[in-house]
Amino acid sequence: MTKDKEQHFVALLEKHQNIIHKVCRLYTYDYDSHNDLFQEITIQLWRAYPKFRGDSKFSTWMYRVGLNTAITLYRKSKRRIKTQDFSDIQFKISAEEYDDTEEQQLKLLYNAVRQLNDIEKALVFLYLENKNYREISETMGISEVNARVKMNRIKTKLRTILNP
Amino acid sequence: MDELELLKKDWQKDDANYPKLTFDEIYKMLLKKSSSIVKWIFIISILEFIFWALISYMLKDADYNKKFQEYQADNIMFSIMVFGYLIIIYFLVRFFMNYRTISVTDNAKILMENILKTRRTVKQYVAVNLGFIIISAFVVLSIQFNRDQQMVSIIDNAAANGELLKFYSITIIVTLVVLGVTVGVLLLFYYLIYGILLKRLNNNYKELKKLEV
Repeated sequence: MTKDKEQHFVALLEKHQNIIHKVCRLYTYDYDSHNDLFQEITIQLWRAYPKFRGDSKFSTWMYRVGLNTAITLYRKSKRRIKTQDFSDIQFKISAEEYDDTEEQQLKLLYNAVRQLNDIEKALVFLYLENKNYREISETMGISEVNARVKMNRIKTKLRTILNP
Repeated sequence: MDELELLKKDWQKDDANYPKLTFDEIYKMLLKKSSSIVKWIFIISILEFIFWALISYMLKDADYNKKFQEYQADNIMFSIMVFGYLIIIYFLVRFFMNYRTISVTDNAKILMENILKTRRTVKQYVAVNLGFIIISAFVVLSIQFNRDQQMVSIIDNAAANGELLKFYSITIIVTLVVLGVTVGVLLLFYYLIYGILLKRLNNNYKELKKLEV
């Protein structure tokens, strides 16, 4: 029974692993810490799994646990020596797909997002994942109005970072 | 076009560029140990409980008690001891109750609040213990002033020489300095440990609270 549950959980996680990779992409800057955070989120998900009720979608549940781990539980890895910039190797945007200006603009945008604080990143993450303001407010524990206001402020902040 | 919309378009389309971990790789991760701050807070808190329990145990060691039997003040020491145990039990129960409410599936704000609440319990426990030690030190001192034969004769001598005030002030100042240094060192230690451990959590919590204003 436990074995079955384990297998089922791992299969679900394997299928939805991109959600965790995306959280790691926003909150870590190198290969080692990406893996560290991925692992911590996996452990937290597995621990919380007995309390997972089928009435919420597994992926929705993953967003919450993933973000909570990234902004609250995770202790940044001591390894400060930058190995390789993970995003540069793993998430290279292929040049054929974009014209140069757009590629350049995206690169600047990703860099700007990285300069946001943890909470702002969480909101941006949920926004990029196409979550509505109700979901954002429920995940963060703030009101919908405040989520909207903050999102607008983040947009302004990003614009300021991009055009100083 | 809105910058974030451009980013969203890109964010959603490069799904294929993420690493793909296999079933076995993920399975192996389940067996690894967590290194979350909640785990560290739990370990450190339990160590604090043990540390303070040991301190109060040592303060009540046999020699000391014997001396107090001499002073016929063992009933006072006994009440202090019972009170000390009640404090430990009360805070341990509260600590575990708070700890159990920490759930990674709560929303971010509640999760942070529950972690901070658990920490606050331990902080209060330590503060009560410090207060307890300071009060005990003065109770012990006043008992010694009154009942310790050696002390009484020193006091009598001092009184005969007209240096009673000097004697009292020196004893009290020395006690205060020793207590002050002990408390100072402990506070510095706490400041460092929790400064490092909880800095990020505190900052993020403040940031979330700011959104409510």
